[in-house]
Amino acid sequence: MSSSIENSHFLLRRLHSLLGLVPIGAFLVFHLWENSQSRFGAAHYNDEVVGALQGLNYLLVFELFLIALPLLFHAGYGLVILRHGRAEPRRYGYLRNRLYWLQRLSGVGLILFLLLHVGLTRIAGLFDPAISADLFGHMQRALMQPPVFGLYLVGLLLAVFHLANGLATAAIVWGLTTSAEAQRRFGWVCAGFGLLLAAMGVHGLLGFLIAPGAGGGA
Amino acid sequence: MQAQTPSDSPACETVELQIRRQHGPTSRPYWQTFACPVRPGANVVSLLMDLREHCVTQDGTRVDPVAFEHNCMEEVCGACAMLINGSPRPACSALIAELEAPIRLEPLPKFPVVRDLMVDRAALFAHLKQVKAWIKLDGPWDVHERAPRVSPKEWQANYLYSRCMSCGCCMAACPQFGPQFGPEATFVGPAPLAQVRLMNAHPTGRYDKAERLHAIMADGGLSDCGNAQNCVRVCPKAIPLTTAIGELGRETTLQAFKDLFGPH
Ligand code: HEM
Ligand code: SF4
Ligand code: SF4
Repeated sequence: MSSSIENSHFLLRRLHSLLGLVPIGAFLVFHLWENSQSRFGAAHYNDEVVGALQGLNYLLVFELFLIALPLLFHAGYGLVILRHGRAEPRRYGYLRNRLYWLQRLSGVGLILFLLLHVGLTRIAGLFDPAISADLFGHMQRALMQPPVFGLYLVGLLLAVFHLANGLATAAIVWGLTTSAEAQRRFGWVCAGFGLLLAAMGVHGLLGFLIAPGAGGGA
Repeated sequence: MQAQTPSDSPACETVELQIRRQHGPTSRPYWQTFACPVRPGANVVSLLMDLREHCVTQDGTRVDPVAFEHNCMEEVCGACAMLINGSPRPACSALIAELEAPIRLEPLPKFPVVRDLMVDRAALFAHLKQVKAWIKLDGPWDVHERAPRVSPKEWQANYLYSRCMSCGCCMAACPQFGPQFGPEATFVGPAPLAQVRLMNAHPTGRYDKAERLHAIMADGGLSDCGNAQNCVRVCPKAIPLTTAIGELGRETTLQAFKDLFGPH
């Protein structure tokens, strides 16, 4: 046997990178796509979007193995990685170095945001069936409070940045992009992807406020 | 500027030099300021050599000469690398005329200080050993069969990496490299990784390619790079370190497939 397999270091790092892309990154894209449909209103959102998912067979298995466990590993190991570096964004103000620093900062921010976000939706729904029955109303009431809206906006942008920048670095890690030219070019592709994803996400957040029948409670 | 002027002419310009000094590896660092006469074409090493002759601080105190290292004076030996105005770079190619005054000199970070501006780069050499950055000339194969065949294009790419002078600037700037993260699991750093790229491309060196890849797939290896890419920005020899890192990423991906699924 060779040391790359005997020594788990390499495999763990690559697993961390891979999980960040699929399933976590893929789920983020799917999640933002689903929520971009909020502006079609409560009935559509609750029945066609959330309802279709809630009716999925083996939903809990998917949630556990495709979202929760990979995210837990990625976040936990991400914190381990964090301890082995020290960014000096002031001394070295180069773009890639700032992104290196922001990748770590956004990772920590995401842990806090995701704890809150998952706690207030999925976990709260376990205890209060009314929440999962009308997720649209639940989210709408929350997002109508400016501090909550601000928090979600920040959380969304952190996640999108982390994924888009992670995509660019993962391409170097796996050896897809090798030349400086290719790395720069793919960096722009990732930036474009991030902007699109952010637009879709913001559209989804605003959708809760502008959907037909929305604003009644305000 | 290039005209020869007597070094002690009264019209000679002076520059303020702030130096972070330290008596020994464990003593507390302190700062001293000097007003140094600048000769035309002076660089940081020549300034430090002049200072050695009259080591008097700005307030007139005679102090011990400032310890520093230098050899070639033409940016090929790497010995004089230090932090100049906050950036890691060789002192010999740092021209006074092009630096912002006052000039701040500090020892190269991340490496233990021996004295003043002298640091111990042993870690860099230990890491070159760790990644097997050498070429075995003796082996079970006949190395004298014929001259190595390398295409001009390949030679051109390899040549870039052969210019590394182990100055340590890339290591100093790397956020992932440093003794502060524990002695065992330290990242080997960008320069040794680039040498793996070079040795693996060598006609004889490539026989040990898998061994070198395995060395950088272990703790402290390639995966500890966080892609901050400071290394390539500060390297005085413009060595394409991040290209090497990307290429090694691809090579280790393939190597992992070979290790997992064969053939070995
Ligand atoms: C929840 C807390 C999270 C933490 C603490 C975290 C931490 C990190 C860290 C430290 C890195 C840098 C790894 C390196 O460069 O070696 C990273 C990379 C990455 N993360 Fe996260 N992350 C988190 C969540 C997420 C989420 C939600 C996503 C998906 C949207 C994600 C996707 C990625 C990707 C794609 C990479 C790039 C991997 C690579 O460079 O190979 N992460 N993460
Ligand atoms: S790669 Fe460049 S910066 Fe790094 S040690 Fe070699 S010459 Fe110095
Ligand atoms: S690209 Fe990697 S090796 Fe270069 S400075 Fe960044 S972390 Fe260090």
